[in-house]
Amino acid sequence: MATAMQQQPYRGGSGYVARSSSSGLYDVLELILDKGLVIDVFVRVSLIGIEILTIDARIVIASVDTYLRFAEAVNRLDLMATETQGLPELMEGITEGGASSKTKGMLQGAKEALFGDDEEEEAEDEGDEGSTRRRTSSSTTTKRRRRREATGSGSKRGRSKSKS
Amino acid sequence: MTDKAEPRYVYGVVRADTAAPAVDGIAAAPLELIADGDVAALTSIAPDQYLEVGREELLTHSRVLEAALDKGTVLPMRFGVVLSDEETLRSDLLDAHHDELAVQLTEMDGKVEMTLKGVYDEEAVLREIVAEHPGIAQLRGELEGKPEAATYYERIRLGELVAAAFVERQELDSEAAVEDLRLHAVAVAVGEPIHERMAVNASFLVERAKLDEFDRALDAIGERKAKLIRFRVTGPLPPHSFVELGVAA
Repeated sequence: MATAMQQQPYRGGSGYVARSSSSGLYDVLELILDKGLVIDVFVRVSLIGIEILTIDARIVIASVDTYLRFAEAVNRLDLMATETQGLPELMEGITEGGASSKTKGMLQGAKEALFGDDEEEEAEDEGDEGSTRRRTSSSTTTKRRRRREATGSGSKRGRSKSKS
Repeated sequence: MTDKAEPRYVYGVVRADTAAPAVDGIAAAPLELIADGDVAALTSIAPDQYLEVGREELLTHSRVLEAALDKGTVLPMRFGVVLSDEETLRSDLLDAHHDELAVQLTEMDGKVEMTLKGVYDEEAVLREIVAEHPGIAQLRGELEGKPEAATYYERIRLGELVAAAFVERQELDSEAAVEDLRLHAVAVAVGEPIHERMAVNASFLVERAKLDEFDRALDAIGERKAKLIRFRVTGPLPPHSFVELGVAA
């Protein structure tokens, strides 16, 4: 999967925020698969593979595996060092494959969410403590739980739902 | 001339008096508008009723919408909506939802979606968590130097504490970023993090005229959190996260 295109900042910017005005697939994948207008009855396009990899890309924080990884990461910290990456290194690392923080692309994160589920179910069967789910992956047909709010600083959204 | 019996891939809804964008649709089919009064569907003939999709098709869908946004207001369809023929498109999309679509077109005039994602520098956020939670620091100290085999449950406990602190932290950071930017937006849609290291995942509906001030607010947040969170913003985009069709009357 290609990384998103990095464009020059299209408006003057301080350089602290990565911007793309032209979207690579990563930037819009969630939007075009999960958002937008839809008429449920008439979706005829086969989304085999794509759907599973992306719409199910929720994270599962609370699992034994994740706890062990957090513990390992915390134990690895060198608490004597006070500086983390400087800005230039951060800017270099701004792609999905970036630098030391190993940002995962969405598809890879999704894969782990899927396989992570399997491990978590095993852990629950064995009765490990602490395997309560705080966030669960949902099925492809469940609408994404987004809180949508009007800010009140612009026009209010009013909408009629039926033909008058 | 439109071929009325062919299935129609629908990219979105636009005003009938706009021109179709000069880009190709899926499977290199030309774009066509099918209008019902002042509202039109932006479509292309689908090659088959069952379309196998891959990266190409996803990109095309996205690019058609961005080209349409250049020409005017567009209400994006979700990817993958194919209607069996023109008549079905007219009756089940345009007629059934005409008023709703017209209202949303007006609502979305002059507004674009900006998506914001922020990713933690893992080391930096863990440091802050250890610094802010003496209990975590202490447990970490107790585990130092001990063999893994002997400390399995302690490590799970440590990880559990860190995970809880992390989730709390993420919620605070997300809210802080959203609060700052919400002032410059008409609407906000906050999503859940898509992967473990995601700090913020939110979309903003922003008036084009306010993009500069939105930008400045973004820069301010980016600078303030530079060592902790790496932000990435995409846009202007069609308002995927802010459109909706109700059940047809």
